[in-house]
Amino acid sequence: MKAAPFEHHEPSTTDEAVSLLESLERPTILAGGQSLVPMLRFRLARPETVIDINGIDALDYLREEAGFLRIGALARHADVADADVIAESYGSFADTAPLVADPQIRNRGTVVGSITQADPKGDWGSVLLAHEGAVVAQGPDGERVIPADEFFLLPYDTTLEESELVTEVRVPTPDAREGSAYHKLKRKTGDYAMAGVATRLVFDEDGRIETAGIGMTAVDITNARARDAEDRLEGERPSSALFEEAGELAAEESNPESDEHGDASYKERMIDVLTQRALGDAAERAGVVKRTVSP
Amino acid sequence: MTDERELTLTVNGTERMIEVEPRRLLVHALRENLDLTGTHIGCDTGNCGACTVLVDGEPIKSCLAFAVQADGSEILTVEGMEELPAAAGELHPLQEGFHEEHGLQCGYCTPGMIIAGKALLDENPDPDEDEIREAISGNLCRCTGYQNIVRSIEYAADELESRAAADGGTPIDSTNSSSLGATGSEGKSIDCGLENCCGGPGVGSGDHDDGGSS
Repeated sequence: MKAAPFEHHEPSTTDEAVSLLESLERPTILAGGQSLVPMLRFRLARPETVIDINGIDALDYLREEAGFLRIGALARHADVADADVIAESYGSFADTAPLVADPQIRNRGTVVGSITQADPKGDWGSVLLAHEGAVVAQGPDGERVIPADEFFLLPYDTTLEESELVTEVRVPTPDAREGSAYHKLKRKTGDYAMAGVATRLVFDEDGRIETAGIGMTAVDITNARARDAEDRLEGERPSSALFEEAGELAAEESNPESDEHGDASYKERMIDVLTQRALGDAAERAGVVKRTVSP
Repeated sequence: MTDERELTLTVNGTERMIEVEPRRLLVHALRENLDLTGTHIGCDTGNCGACTVLVDGEPIKSCLAFAVQADGSEILTVEGMEELPAAAGELHPLQEGFHEEHGLQCGYCTPGMIIAGKALLDENPDPDEDEIREAISGNLCRCTGYQNIVRSIEYAADELESRAAADGGTPIDSTNSSSLGATGSEGKSIDCGLENCCGGPGVGSGDHDDGGSS
């Protein structure tokens, strides 16, 4: 099926894009388009105008700067998979990038677009939550930094204003004693997650967990944090018994729905297992402990 | 709203100008405006990969991009494979591999598989089986079970390597490559000293060592 007719605009600066967003009737932003184009084709989305931001070269970046890993709106999944800085310091990002869809889609689809799409089955939202990251939006009144915890509202719905363009997502650069990971269960390459868990652990000098972040994929109406599990971890020394408890708490906090891929109790059990695995990897990558048990 | 846009696409080395609506998908522009029907439409949802083409060297699904987004780009479709230097005026080793190793049954997915294979071998001339399976993981085939497709791409990798070796280790050009390779695994005539370079796993080891034509 073909998309309904639309007006097509190709701004070359962020300011131009924002003023188009403000002035045009029912616009939508096209970046990677790997979710948007099928939605247009099936007429699940029927905007009057499409603002194609691919010509805004200033949004094509992935770099560490001023205490953050900053991923611009035009950085593709493949760019994350290929970046040296990711391979060196950002375990969860390195885990996630090759698990998104398939190679062709990773060449086009963007991290920022995936997060802004706010599909609860999207992987990057969980990573952003686990890292206590933020979404940077440019609007008519300037720039706004939205903490990840305040970004997701409902499936495909965020706290973004209609005339705001997401220019970047960012997470804090890792501490010396920090590790992160992402584990995902999917039936085959290209699928969205049946369940996924992103973890981030920051340890203090005594080897206790100072900060724990856990983001869950596909088991609630949005990407969700497992706060009880995080609270249980903080202040403790890592151990397989502790991670088992955290896994159980995360499973209790999840709210999966039964579908053709599995029933809710199965997905809850998977959250338990994936949480333990991802915590194990995060701890190991933080260099504090060696993982001893693999559930 | 339905204003047409004029685009310039360099498709398989030839500059083409077309006029399309902004909502025209790249795959439709290729098939219908340019009459290049080798690029297939399989699923309409971005899952099957039959519409895979290279845009500026990168494999993408042409049913998930608008043609206007490719304005000014270089595109390679399956029709362009025979025109590449490695084809030496005949079939490209990837096409030959799909023939030799029975990499196709109904053939519908084949153009996408060949383009995905081309993208892989451009990046990684000596992929292992896992890397091949990963490279074609965005391409569905409902006939073959993939095993022969993997072998076809392995065949092409071996063939390209042996031609390069025969050419003194430099990339082959179209003038001197026809003496080797086009006859496939049975026709190798050199001992290049490299494991698996002369026809892959199916070739007996004695063949490799004798150094003469068989």
